[in-house]
Amino acid sequence: MSALTRLRHMDFWTAITVLILAVLALLLILPILQVLMLGFVDADTGGFTFGNFVEVFTRNYYLNGFKNSLYVALLGTLGACLIGIPLAFFTARFVVAGQTWISTLAILVLVAPPFIGAYAWIMMLGANGFITNFFAHFGINTPTIYGAHGIVLVFTLKFFPFIYLMTQTSLNGMNKSFEDAAENLGCTPWQRFTKITLPLVFPAVSTGAIICFVLAIADFGTPAILGRGFRTLSTIAFSAYRSELGGLPTMAVTVSIVMMAMSMLALLAQRRILAKRRYASALTNPPLKQRMQGWRNVVMHLFCHGIVLIAMLPTLVVVYTSFLKTNGPVFIGGFGLESYERILRTAPDAITNSFIFALSAVVLITIFSGLISYVIVRRDTAASGAIDFLMMVPYLVPGVVIAIGYVTTFRGGPLDVIGTSGLLILLYFIRRLPYGVRSTTSSLRQIKTSMEEAAVNLGAPPARAFLIITVPLILPGLIVGALMGFITAINELSSTLILYDGGTITMPVQIYLAVLDGEFGLAGALSTVLLICTGACVYAVFRFAENRDSAFL
Amino acid sequence: MASVEITGLRKLYGNVMALSDITLSIPSGAFYTLLGPSGCGKTTLLRTIAGFHTQNSGQIAIDGASIEDLPAHKRDVAMVFQDYAVFPHLSVRDNVAFGLKQRKVNRTEIDTRVTEVLEVVQLGHLADRMPHELSGGQQQRVGLARAIVVRPKVLLMDEPLSNLDAKLRVDLRAELRRIQRALGITTVYVTHDQEEALAMSDIVCVMHGGIIQQAAPPLDIYLRPANRFVATFVGANNFLAVSRTAAKATLVSGGAEITPLIRYDGPVVGAMRPEDVRVLAAGTTAPEGDITVSARIREISFIGREMEIFAQTDAGEHIKAVSRPDPAIVALPENSPVTLAIRPDDLSFFVDSGDGVRVP
Repeated sequence: MSALTRLRHMDFWTAITVLILAVLALLLILPILQVLMLGFVDADTGGFTFGNFVEVFTRNYYLNGFKNSLYVALLGTLGACLIGIPLAFFTARFVVAGQTWISTLAILVLVAPPFIGAYAWIMMLGANGFITNFFAHFGINTPTIYGAHGIVLVFTLKFFPFIYLMTQTSLNGMNKSFEDAAENLGCTPWQRFTKITLPLVFPAVSTGAIICFVLAIADFGTPAILGRGFRTLSTIAFSAYRSELGGLPTMAVTVSIVMMAMSMLALLAQRRILAKRRYASALTNPPLKQRMQGWRNVVMHLFCHGIVLIAMLPTLVVVYTSFLKTNGPVFIGGFGLESYERILRTAPDAITNSFIFALSAVVLITIFSGLISYVIVRRDTAASGAIDFLMMVPYLVPGVVIAIGYVTTFRGGPLDVIGTSGLLILLYFIRRLPYGVRSTTSSLRQIKTSMEEAAVNLGAPPARAFLIITVPLILPGLIVGALMGFITAINELSSTLILYDGGTITMPVQIYLAVLDGEFGLAGALSTVLLICTGACVYAVFRFAENRDSAFL
Repeated sequence: MASVEITGLRKLYGNVMALSDITLSIPSGAFYTLLGPSGCGKTTLLRTIAGFHTQNSGQIAIDGASIEDLPAHKRDVAMVFQDYAVFPHLSVRDNVAFGLKQRKVNRTEIDTRVTEVLEVVQLGHLADRMPHELSGGQQQRVGLARAIVVRPKVLLMDEPLSNLDAKLRVDLRAELRRIQRALGITTVYVTHDQEEALAMSDIVCVMHGGIIQQAAPPLDIYLRPANRFVATFVGANNFLAVSRTAAKATLVSGGAEITPLIRYDGPVVGAMRPEDVRVLAAGTTAPEGDITVSARIREISFIGREMEIFAQTDAGEHIKAVSRPDPAIVALPENSPVTLAIRPDDLSFFVDSGDGVRVP
């Protein structure tokens, strides 16, 4: 066949693969490459330079940011492990009353808007927080929430659900015979835990820890709200971007590259360690739950329920403050709906924008998730491997980085006609696409290839076979993916902050600005709206997902 | 009804030759079985005919019209899958109607044809069930009905019975064959089960290493295997070393002269089926004219209808014999000397090199 006829006969899925690669190249690779290249550009001359990196690694301002990021990310991850692993172990190996309740709360913590935790803790432990004031009554000084330890506390309580849910899944899937064999060979329960159980769940724990670490490095809202002079790389990148407005954002970009490099190094290190530890095991003998007795049982229940309640506390505080009577930014005692009245008056744009952007992004996410997962699962080509790999990239690249990439790549270019709203939609689409793809992919892997083959064999062209056979069969995966995409898109803050303009403000941005202005009532009401949307989606995921806990990871 | 001609078909996976110059011809209406161990290329060949794999070279023609470059959905060959592949979100009726709808057959004709074919596979009463309400055997009947209702030129079956339990497999085997005969539909059937292949087929095509070893009617495959692979894969076989001088050929073990039996000049090995070997306890005389080989018992297993005797000849060859249970033999302890007797006609010979082609 000549090249021309081959092109004309290009089958449906080859065409789709080309389309997907083109979209990813334009919306993902190009902006990131732009950012990477900007890091080597001299802001004044426009020439090539290593100067930006030299500056980051020599000037104390940046070096401290680097150390601070590393410090809070490592301690936050450690904290998340220290409460996530015991929680997982207790719920997986012992009878804990209210187990579903615990995992539901943990999931709510996981999906709650990321910055809510930070400002809710200010309301509790800040200079004028109610816990601070309560203890001040008795002349006790509570430690301040601002600075490094506050950020670590918020990270710990925000990210432990990753460790908890992943470790729990792994523990539940572990063949009980391993532990039985250890005991049979003379291990005490503690030895059995440290020598058998813990090493076997290590892959899950380390995967959870890497997610925590990467998210903590990229997190902007928490250090921005709680930092007070304690600067991390993400806040440095953001303010560098702000101060460089008009010129080339070279320093913002260089700092972002350092952040990305930290995340990737961590991921590579974990992959390396994991490569030698693959524990496949058939679940022939599922683990049994034991009943703990006496005071230990009480302590265990206090621990499990206490952890998730403390982690939920910020959310409850936010909802609570939204119903406080306010006069402008001041709480004047008693309850009232003024805050809700105010968001309808001052921020209706934020609400409609948030929904329009998130829903449009979700439509794109759903369509592309279906197509991409088919290409990844069913087509064994170099292109499908590349797409599979590219789906990891949005996880690793901080929102600030992609947003700067979008600004430098598309502002003023031909794609600018779609406006800021269009850019935000495309940005949400590309950043949250992996959630949709992952959920759809796992759904599709359970569908036998012979389904589509049978349809094609009976005369349906590939596109139609996909539409009338594959799509209905992967619908649960598509729906869960869409819901996860929606939750994460409507809560997006860091990249929106860089891209938004007067007409495209969203709820998270409005909340962030309100918090900076001390408008906690307004922030509380908007956050409550976000929480309700998120909660509704979580409920829907529970309905559609086969494994409700792991759908959120 | 349609004939299938495959010429010089070749398929590579990387450097591995999955199909090596496959040339075969299937007469119209025949039940043609591809038989071989896993990895022999039989499923690859079937899927290449269906259009799920693209060949590197070669032609596939149905009734003289070449189809090898047609996309899978235009080939008009219907396949029955090993894992049934019944669409789980469609009812039995909708599953069966699927192919007719793709062919834009009008509604009333779809209804009559679906009802008709469901009667043929004895599923008329389950037409409105969903697949998860059906047993494995019933699901496979749906798979068959769905394939034959479109009246394809060729019916392809990929180990359709291998996921069913033994009893059902035998029942459905007979039914498949009955329906195939009644419709006269040209069928290519893939299996690794030699009993299934022998019982159902007009022609059995034994494959190994991507190469066709022999394609012949079942009786020929069994009685006149083309080479050593076919001789051991279809049924079992025992091999005996043969020593040759210019004038004379003798069995290494026992020394019986077999010169007149071999019509070939090079080195050969002798072969005999387990059911042709008679085991005689020491002191029993062999029937007149039989070739005898002395051996020692290694193991005897009594499995009801028959007994299996594993013996070792003086030259060290391992011999398996199968016969009706004989209490005197079953009782023999290990290492007891026995005589193995075989009629000269039951001895066949294969060239002792390369592919081990059968000596005529």
